[in-house]
Amino acid sequence: MTGCGEEGHAYVAALSALPGMGPANLASILRRRAPRAAWLAVQTGRLERPSGRAEGPGLGLEGDGGPHRGPGWRALAAKVDPPEWWRPIAARGIKVTWHGRPDFPEALQSDPSPPGSLFWRGRLEALRNPCVAVVGTRNATNCGIATAYELGRDLATAGVCVLSGLALGIDGAVHRGAVDAVKAGASAAPVAVVASGVDVVYPKRNERLWEEVAECGAVLSETVPGRPAQAWRFPSRNRIIAGLAGLVVVVESHARGGSLITAEAALARGVEVRAVPGAVRSAASEGTNQLLYEGAGPVRHATDVLDSLGIFDTARPQRPHGSGQLLLSSLGRTVLESMGWYPVTPNQVVLTGGVSPAEALQALDELEEKGVVVESAGFYTRVR
Amino acid sequence: MLAKVSSATLIGVEGQAISVEVHVSKGLPGFSIVGLPDAACRESRDRVRAAILSSGMSWPQRRVTVNLAPSGIRKGGSGLDLPVAIALLIADGQLSAAVVDNVGFIAELGLDGTLRGVPGVLARAHALNAAQLVVSPDCAAEAATAPGLRAVSAASLSRVVACLQGRSSWDEPKSSDATVLMAAPPDLADVRGQPLARIAVEVAAAGGHHLLMVGPPGAGKTMLAERLVGLLPVLTTSEALEVARVHSAAGLALPSQVLPVRPPFRAPHHSSSLVSIVGGGGSAMRPGELSCAHRGVLFLDELGEFSGAVLDTLRQPLEERQVRVSRARASTVFPADVLLVAAMNPCPCGADLGPGSCQCSAAARQRYRARVSGPLLDRFDLRIRLDRPEVADLVRAIEGEGSLEALDPGVESTATVAARVARARAVASQRGFATNAAIPPGSLDLLAPLSQGALRVLEVRLRQGLLSARGLQRVRRVARTIADLEGWEGKLRPADVYGALALRSNVLAVEKAFDGVQPSAASLR
Repeated sequence: MTGCGEEGHAYVAALSALPGMGPANLASILRRRAPRAAWLAVQTGRLERPSGRAEGPGLGLEGDGGPHRGPGWRALAAKVDPPEWWRPIAARGIKVTWHGRPDFPEALQSDPSPPGSLFWRGRLEALRNPCVAVVGTRNATNCGIATAYELGRDLATAGVCVLSGLALGIDGAVHRGAVDAVKAGASAAPVAVVASGVDVVYPKRNERLWEEVAECGAVLSETVPGRPAQAWRFPSRNRIIAGLAGLVVVVESHARGGSLITAEAALARGVEVRAVPGAVRSAASEGTNQLLYEGAGPVRHATDVLDSLGIFDTARPQRPHGSGQLLLSSLGRTVLESMGWYPVTPNQVVLTGGVSPAEALQALDELEEKGVVVESAGFYTRVR
Repeated sequence: MLAKVSSATLIGVEGQAISVEVHVSKGLPGFSIVGLPDAACRESRDRVRAAILSSGMSWPQRRVTVNLAPSGIRKGGSGLDLPVAIALLIADGQLSAAVVDNVGFIAELGLDGTLRGVPGVLARAHALNAAQLVVSPDCAAEAATAPGLRAVSAASLSRVVACLQGRSSWDEPKSSDATVLMAAPPDLADVRGQPLARIAVEVAAAGGHHLLMVGPPGAGKTMLAERLVGLLPVLTTSEALEVARVHSAAGLALPSQVLPVRPPFRAPHHSSSLVSIVGGGGSAMRPGELSCAHRGVLFLDELGEFSGAVLDTLRQPLEERQVRVSRARASTVFPADVLLVAAMNPCPCGADLGPGSCQCSAAARQRYRARVSGPLLDRFDLRIRLDRPEVADLVRAIEGEGSLEALDPGVESTATVAARVARARAVASQRGFATNAAIPPGSLDLLAPLSQGALRVLEVRLRQGLLSARGLQRVRRVARTIADLEGWEGKLRPADVYGALALRSNVLAVEKAFDGVQPSAASLR
């Protein structure tokens, strides 16, 4: 690649922000021209917007009238000075790299449909550890959340870079687990691949987690900074997760869902997909159980993932499952044995456990305190 | 010549004594009515004229002035037709003034002279300045329930005149026994597979605690709400009179011949307007559903579908147990001492069987739950989640392979539970407050003291931020009721507090995001 210094980054970022600029087009432009030269070509009209494609408002300027219409690249480029446009963005700690650069993630260099450019906050060095994507549904059960949290924490502790999407539900739990592990001294930081610009937190509820991941690991995105998460960006983001990962673990997925898209993208790249088995009547495990049925390997806990990666030399997490060794009162044990593994209401505990409401709550209180049961929105779920 | 006749009108649910004055004098024939009559009242001129003529009497060909005193109050409705007609006949010399001494009249007139009923006769009868009241036959029973008043009726204006002149005799309303019970309410024993909900309605009835039920369609929310009424004690005579006055003013049919004995059950549809719920509506100031449920149960099914404005107006009346409605032309206070029972689905699709099970997005669920504002949610001492009974169990029970009793042992009939509720209410009322829900925060330490064990249970929750200071007060009140039901009058035991907490689920909580402390993270190792 032609050397272009810091300025080159601004031109690549500006090229990425042009309406209708797809990853393949950007990659091919950058293969043929240096970033600055490519921008000049745009300014002089030698490079124009491909017909029939449009995307976003482009450089945040007004007047993009939708597909096929609006100002062409030449008109847009005339109004913008990339270094000046990029300077405040870079000042916020946002960096950019592109296909072919040495700092571009190794795994994506040979990807069948790599991103043309990548924006990120944090340190991409985190990706040098073995990467495992742990993904799943936003609408997860407490069991799934607990499993995802443990996987994130234990994999990070074992030196694995945990990849996920920073969404609600499973993704967030995975990242929370990994961040907690890093706080407790683990060296492998997590990396999040998000659909919006890396400075546009989505969902808002994950704001703090987002910052923490960016602080210890990296938040990266193909999307130009400042742009919101749009529905179509998520499947496209999922292919990057699949491309970066050496192994994809789906914790919970409904019959249709984004994590199945990640799994499919992984299979298309020859990346192994594994799934966490779930209760057969749980809607949140329909997709993962289907994956298992189709031949994906099961994951019970982090050890299964480490075995699959061939990592045998790190500290192995203890298996957290089972309540046998727990010291429970007889009331607590009665209730635990009656409640099964599906979410139950206190009413069902009263009904199946044959206890009074007060006893049911006392027992659930004890079980919650010992971490055997998790409460959410009036439901109690056994998690171990 | 001048004549004066007693009557009464209705403002909100309160009666107001009216003196109908008619002056007939020389001058151009004409008729004017003064004293703030509304449209229905002003039109009485045409009804009265036709009724007098078709009853075989004559209309004075002179100047007629009708004054409704006190003239400062706006009078509505048609109940003043009969007193106007009688006063006019007296002023015209067709009837002697002596016959209406201490007699009041409340009825609408048909063009043929028929007497027709009007709403709020009971409240009007209360306010009347007379010892005898003449009403239409259909209102006679209602008027007769007013104490210290002889209520009589006649079918038509000509009969009224004949009775006044002693040429005929009044129809006396059939005396009725107000303590005759109405049809037995639906039985609590019909509710199966909902042990927690059965206890919740019992506690709600005993302590006057508002109840919120969240559950999928078909879980029996409406069924439970209807059964709650049967658990409440029967109304005392004075309470029944209050209820009857409100219902009469709202134009609701009163139970045949008797005062209502069962507390009312009102279930307005979720499309109801604000005015229809709280009352008001023009100068008539009709009581709303909230007041119609006075001393009974107001059931709001599909709570999330009610408009936000309606829900938020409920907050103040629930605290004050009355609703003050002010309009440009009038302002009044309606009684509103209700037990609020609300039901809603857990999410738009209604099929939420636990985290991860429904098809709604997290945002959709959150929006749905946020429709019930925090302050309103706070009014519910009892919040429970209902489950749909397992289909397989129901089928087994119907096929006779297992009995419904086996499905849910310990079901009790309404009579058994109502007796327990009555005992608990008696104990509670000795403390000086109508129900435990009404115990003010300052009296809780005295009336609902906590044992050491109970304190520890609550302390953990307070520290974890799972319970607010206000929530703590509510838990104590409910725990007091649970103890009362068990006949325990000492310090609240841990079991009482656990029982109260079991009836206070986090039903509308939104799934926790991974921002901040993950609940299970601390305990997972």
